[in-house]
Amino acid sequence: MRAKKRVKQAKILLQEIGLESDRVEMYNLGASDAPMFASACNEMTQRARDLGPNPLRKEKA
Amino acid sequence: MIVGERKKFEEIQELVKDYKSLLVLGCGTCVSVCMAGGEKEVELLATQLRMATQLKNGNVNIEEVTIQRQCDREYIEPVLEKARGFDAVLSLACGAGVQLVADMLDTQPVIPGLNTRFIGVAEAEGIWSERCRACGNCLLADYAGICPIARCPKGLVNGQCGGQRDGKCETSSERDCAWALIYERLSKQGLLDKMKEMAPLKDYSVQLHPARQVNEAYLKGEVEAVHQK
Repeated sequence: MRAKKRVKQAKILLQEIGLESDRVEMYNLGASDAPMFASACNEMTQRARDLGPNPLRKEKA
Repeated sequence: MIVGERKKFEEIQELVKDYKSLLVLGCGTCVSVCMAGGEKEVELLATQLRMATQLKNGNVNIEEVTIQRQCDREYIEPVLEKARGFDAVLSLACGAGVQLVADMLDTQPVIPGLNTRFIGVAEAEGIWSERCRACGNCLLADYAGICPIARCPKGLVNGQCGGQRDGKCETSSERDCAWALIYERLSKQGLLDKMKEMAPLKDYSVQLHPARQVNEAYLKGEVEAVHQK
């Protein structure tokens, strides 16, 4: 899957510049996988909270 | 085409760390095709450098431009003035392009962003492999269009060594034995008798470096005058 490879590459690019690669993630879900979708959203929300705001955006603010 | 690969990001960062303004200069020919130094890669690298600089609270002016070729003066000339406005140029061309840009800018540092690997072909999407050593004495007519100099790690011109196994080279199970390929293709072409011919010693004298090629029909002006003397 091309998207999977691209997300992997995006993680490497983020890591190279010193940003956490966990800021981007790809989940495979079926259209009817509502519980999985909710769990992925919760996981990413928690991750965003743990990692804090994107330092690049913070500087701009 | 000439195949290159981008240097590691940390290495590039180290090479450009002393400059306060940087022009990332792409090349739209070979290294663009092998996805190492074209417009897209220039944009990506320039963005990465900007973000990395910002994260370190640095203040570096990074701009980008991609020209058709960095190995031809006529393509470099239009961006010379712009390039002179920067502390340094980070060139994503092959070694030849980097050197010509450096020659033309002269007083300004030109940093290579790629490692030039080889003259090769696209084997499949995302895979390139070496096909030519630019030896100056092409023997492909004798070897069914498969170069044993470039594709056999030993550069054998008179048949394979004993290391071939199932058509693969002893140096890597992923590498085809050039001589197995030559045999197969000569066979398909009905030219297997060529295998019996002994190749003479290869003339390496034409491989003197640095090489130079002159075509007098195209010389102009002062250059022509120098050559006619």
